[in-house]
Amino acid sequence: MSSELAIWCEGLGKRYLVPHRQVEATSLMEDLRDHLKEYTGLAGRDESADYFWALKDVSFEVKQGEILGIVGKNGSGKSTLLKILSGVTEPTTGRARLRGRIGSLLEVGTGFHPDMTGRENVFMAGALLGLSQAEIRSHFDEIVDFSGIERFIDVPVKRYSSGMYVRLAFSVASLLRSDILILDEVLAVGDAAFKEKSEKIINRIAHDGRTVLLVSHNLSAIRHMCERAIVLNEGRMIADERPDEAVRSYLQVVHDEGEEKIDIRTLPPRVDISERDDEDYPRTFNTLKWAEISGPDGPSRTLRTGAPMTLRFGYEMPELVDPCYFTVFVLNDVGDRMFVSYSYHDQDQMSFPKSGVIECHIDALPLLDGAYTIELDFGRLSEGDVRYLDFVPRVLEFMVEQGDYFGARPLVRNQGNFAVRTRWKSGVGSAVGIDG
Amino acid sequence: MNVRTIDAGRQGVLAQIGEVWKQHELMFLFVRRHIASRYRQMALGGLWAVLEPLAQLLLMSVVFGFLLRVQSNDYPYAVFLFSAMIPWQHFGRTTMAVAGSLQENMALISKVYFPRLILPVSAVFRELFDTGLQILVLIGVAAWFGYYPSLWLLVGAPIVLLLVSLAGLGLGLCAAGVIVRYRDVRPFLGIALQGGMYISPVLYAASIVPERFQFLYQLNPMYWPIEAFRWMLLGQAMKFSWALPITAIMVVLLLVIGLVLFTINERKTVDVL
Repeated sequence: MSSELAIWCEGLGKRYLVPHRQVEATSLMEDLRDHLKEYTGLAGRDESADYFWALKDVSFEVKQGEILGIVGKNGSGKSTLLKILSGVTEPTTGRARLRGRIGSLLEVGTGFHPDMTGRENVFMAGALLGLSQAEIRSHFDEIVDFSGIERFIDVPVKRYSSGMYVRLAFSVASLLRSDILILDEVLAVGDAAFKEKSEKIINRIAHDGRTVLLVSHNLSAIRHMCERAIVLNEGRMIADERPDEAVRSYLQVVHDEGEEKIDIRTLPPRVDISERDDEDYPRTFNTLKWAEISGPDGPSRTLRTGAPMTLRFGYEMPELVDPCYFTVFVLNDVGDRMFVSYSYHDQDQMSFPKSGVIECHIDALPLLDGAYTIELDFGRLSEGDVRYLDFVPRVLEFMVEQGDYFGARPLVRNQGNFAVRTRWKSGVGSAVGIDG
Repeated sequence: MNVRTIDAGRQGVLAQIGEVWKQHELMFLFVRRHIASRYRQMALGGLWAVLEPLAQLLLMSVVFGFLLRVQSNDYPYAVFLFSAMIPWQHFGRTTMAVAGSLQENMALISKVYFPRLILPVSAVFRELFDTGLQILVLIGVAAWFGYYPSLWLLVGAPIVLLLVSLAGLGLGLCAAGVIVRYRDVRPFLGIALQGGMYISPVLYAASIVPERFQFLYQLNPMYWPIEAFRWMLLGQAMKFSWALPITAIMVVLLLVIGLVLFTINERKTVDVL
């Protein structure tokens, strides 16, 4: 393994035998056979239906000091992969090599014994990491300080709140100088202050040349902390790429759109949404029929920052609704709403014919590079209140390219979603201090 | 920097032993942790390590020594019994502690990597601690009856106990990996140990066993540590027999088999679905 790699793995797979308990009256012999099979891997016909591959043929490399994100649906094999890399369980196939000390936080409070105090647990956790008591002592104050639970460090851990637990566990894992840090969903727990702190720490760790493996469902965290991300689905690795691409692959799978990476640009700019039916939003008042997106040069899925954008959509109300409204939602790739536009915001229009085509026009699209999604909504207006009647999520996706909006030096990725033209002036005041 | 290789076939026995040696600090932390947690919230704390055997001793002395007048080679029954109970119970407790060591720590095993062999080994040490406390009590009880500790006892007791620990470790290791899946093994082991007590010279003197069965009787590995304790404390004569080296080999074999079985089983324990 080359010296600049921290983690190398090839063909990792993990197979579990799934106990079949469908027919209660299995004979003693069959029961015994099942046990033997599980136990020794021998005995009898090897029906593949009996086995479940939690992980299959996973290979990747991580360089020293890299932060690798791992995303995937629940049950995709993320935890199994981490368990194998942490040495907790053996792989059925394949091998891996890890350079240096490995610290894992696979669950909050790993290794913490409830009856022991925080102090004792820190020493225990450090010892589990492979550090000597002397080394732990030298870092002890820093750990307690970072965790913020100095007052309770000598209280048995079972009295801690879950937040305190997380803070202590995380500060132990991150400050005890392991060369590789494996984090499984631990950023989810903990308050906002903790999240900020932990992100800072992770970045600092990577900066120090230590490697971090981060599993998280928090896609924005993955996007702005990781340099690379792999996507797991049903035990296999389906992508190994830049975080924003990985997030898209993952979302695609989440939305049951298959594993083949779909290039948004190649999709037709007009979609038929009359038959769309999302479980959560039943089409009881099916009004929205089709939608088409256009840039300055006509219908297209690729738009440009600062350029005009037009969304046309056709509708037909089952029965006339008056007053009514239409809404256009624009979301980014991880589902955050970028902006919303209601039909009554422009000239207070509240009456529409029973069927027709509507055009929404934006003079200068303020969005930066990335993939975005449009959602459409239609509803009734009553006494200034809105009541939705028909909603179609994920009507269509489109790409935005920055082009030369900012001139020769475009904004780098992941620095925000909006393009804001700012004027910079120098020489406005005289003194350097606040009173100037 | 250390490169760890993870493969479908994990570390062998020797490698595991090496790891335990390297991580001895962690091992002692486990011992301390267990002892502390056991006694931390109990009002009488460490006293229990002593009270329990004393209560048992009292009860059994009255029943077997006084009511039933069991043969004790003219030594005061209480001391006679206690000197045998120490090695026997040490064996029993060590075996059970080792056998259950994986099962008890499942939560830890499934989340963190560390050489699993540390768990049974730490179990051995913590039972040694408890037995150590009991020996102090034994010395007290024996002194009360007029038997003062000899040099033999002070030197020999630790050695004998260590050997008994090895036997308990061996037997326990055989069971440890299996217990995680088949919990029945644990009570089964308990029953077997109970039976074992009756075929060992704990409650009675070995001399009541007919001559023609003596050799067979002496093939019980626990015969020797028990008689050794009686010899060290009471001065009861001990005779050499070929059964001794045979049982020694049995124990060594047991330990080796236990280590191998443990190494094979511990890998699979985490995968118990």
